[in-house]
Amino acid sequence: MPELTADLVLKKIKIGEKVERADLRGLVLTRAVLDGASFRRCDLDGANLEGARLSKALFKNASLREAFLAGADLREANLESADLEGANLLGAKLAGANLNRANLEGANLQGADLSGARLTHAQLASATLGGARLIRAELAHADLSETDLSTAKLDEADLTSTDLSGANLEEASLARAQLRDAVLRGATLLRADLSGADLRRANLSGAKLEGALFTGARVRGLVGTGAPVIGIRAEWVDDSEEASRAVRVTGGQIADLLAGLTASAPSHKRYFGQGDVLRNAHLEFNTGAAVEIESLFEHCTIALGEGTELVIGRGGVLSGCQVQGAGRITIHGKFVEREGPGIVGATQLVVSSEGSLVGAVEQAQDLTRFGFEPGCHLRVQILQAKKERSTKGGKQS
Amino acid sequence: MIPMQGTQGRKTLVEEGTSFKGSLSSTCPVEVKGRVEGDVTAPALSVSASGSVHGKVKVGEMQSHGELAGEFDADVVQLQGTVKDRTIIRAKSLEVKLSPTEGKMQVVFGECQLEVGSETREVAASARPNEKAPKGPSVPPEGVKPSEPSKGPSVRPPTDANGA
Repeated sequence: MPELTADLVLKKIKIGEKVERADLRGLVLTRAVLDGASFRRCDLDGANLEGARLSKALFKNASLREAFLAGADLREANLESADLEGANLLGAKLAGANLNRANLEGANLQGADLSGARLTHAQLASATLGGARLIRAELAHADLSETDLSTAKLDEADLTSTDLSGANLEEASLARAQLRDAVLRGATLLRADLSGADLRRANLSGAKLEGALFTGARVRGLVGTGAPVIGIRAEWVDDSEEASRAVRVTGGQIADLLAGLTASAPSHKRYFGQGDVLRNAHLEFNTGAAVEIESLFEHCTIALGEGTELVIGRGGVLSGCQVQGAGRITIHGKFVEREGPGIVGATQLVVSSEGSLVGAVEQAQDLTRFGFEPGCHLRVQILQAKKERSTKGGKQS
Repeated sequence: MIPMQGTQGRKTLVEEGTSFKGSLSSTCPVEVKGRVEGDVTAPALSVSASGSVHGKVKVGEMQSHGELAGEFDADVVQLQGTVKDRTIIRAKSLEVKLSPTEGKMQVVFGECQLEVGSETREVAASARPNEKAPKGPSVPPEGVKPSEPSKGPSVRPPTDANGA
């Protein structure tokens, strides 16, 4: 039995009272007007809220497992960290809702409108999103493995680093979507629209691409399907480092590139996999190479040629190392120096939200472009280029 | 300095062309379009492109498009503009957006120090030599030139804000 009756809940909300931490399991509030109501930390498992008006309502940390929310109006509602496992949200209006870190595993979101919704780090494994609208939705780092996203509209959505393994994206629209570092292993992308999508470093191994549209997609560093690709549609794709459209690939080379059989980008790629340990080594990488480290490097020196891209993956650790040269460095893992400066002369240094950097960075002569994402960990001393420093010192004295 | 009544509540504004020297403590957000030299304590600090803050600052949130010099303690920092030499920024969260255009800088950093997040010490500890790397298959590296064991970088450790 719920702690409060439906009438009592409606009365409380009408007079502006909050309904928080209450046991409301199985409560029936179909088509109720509950806009802006607060159900923070409530237990609403199995509740029936079909067609209810819940725009801007607060469900933060609430439990709504197996709740019936079909057709509910949840626009701009706050469902952060809510548990919606197995909930029925068929045709629900969730535009602009906050679903960051929510659990939607196995939920039914068919035909739901999630345009502009925030779903970062959300758990959507095995959810049904067929025909859903996710235009400009923020889904970075979300788990979308084995989800049904067939015919879904995901144009301009942020799907950076999402797990889409085994997902069904047949006839989905992903125009200009951000899919950098996304895992699409074994995904079905038949007749999907990926025009202008950013697929840099995405993993497409085993994905089905027949009939998909790739014109203008950014493909640098992507991991191909591993099998010949047939029947794709693309006038050109962008294989430049910076997605500047400077390196256009056309014709039959596109299919080879998507299959991972081409000699362009991948031929310059150096990969150090998980489990490898390198100690006291000196490594040199030529201009234009792309280096990815998922291993443990100890007391190594790494020389980067101009424009070389060095990515320290999530599993990568560089301990007591020094990286020199005019390369571009991205840290998703850990970089910890023993003696500084650990990084010398990089033209670009990015530390992602999962990255850690402990050490000194001597900037390039023309300064280093920095990018730090919220959530990164830094204990960094930034230094000017040596020449710059000595000139300054001279002037001061 | 004009206490402002904006649509989103009060804020203290140091207008362009105004120079303020001394300690500034406020219970409402501070916006600097001019120049502030001294200590600032406030729940939030916003420095516009024309603004500069030189001194010791302790705020909850800080957003800067202008010039920063001194010691800054904040929970959340969003940076653009310039960070001068001998500056220390301590924050729980720092965001510096990468400039979309090569050659352009979102932030020009002088010789400064950044202490962001709380786990940097733990990170240092976890990256010890005996750390077990995750198991898994790997692809042998191409074009790698192994050499004699390195004696390690001979560059001096960073000891002060000048790197001297």
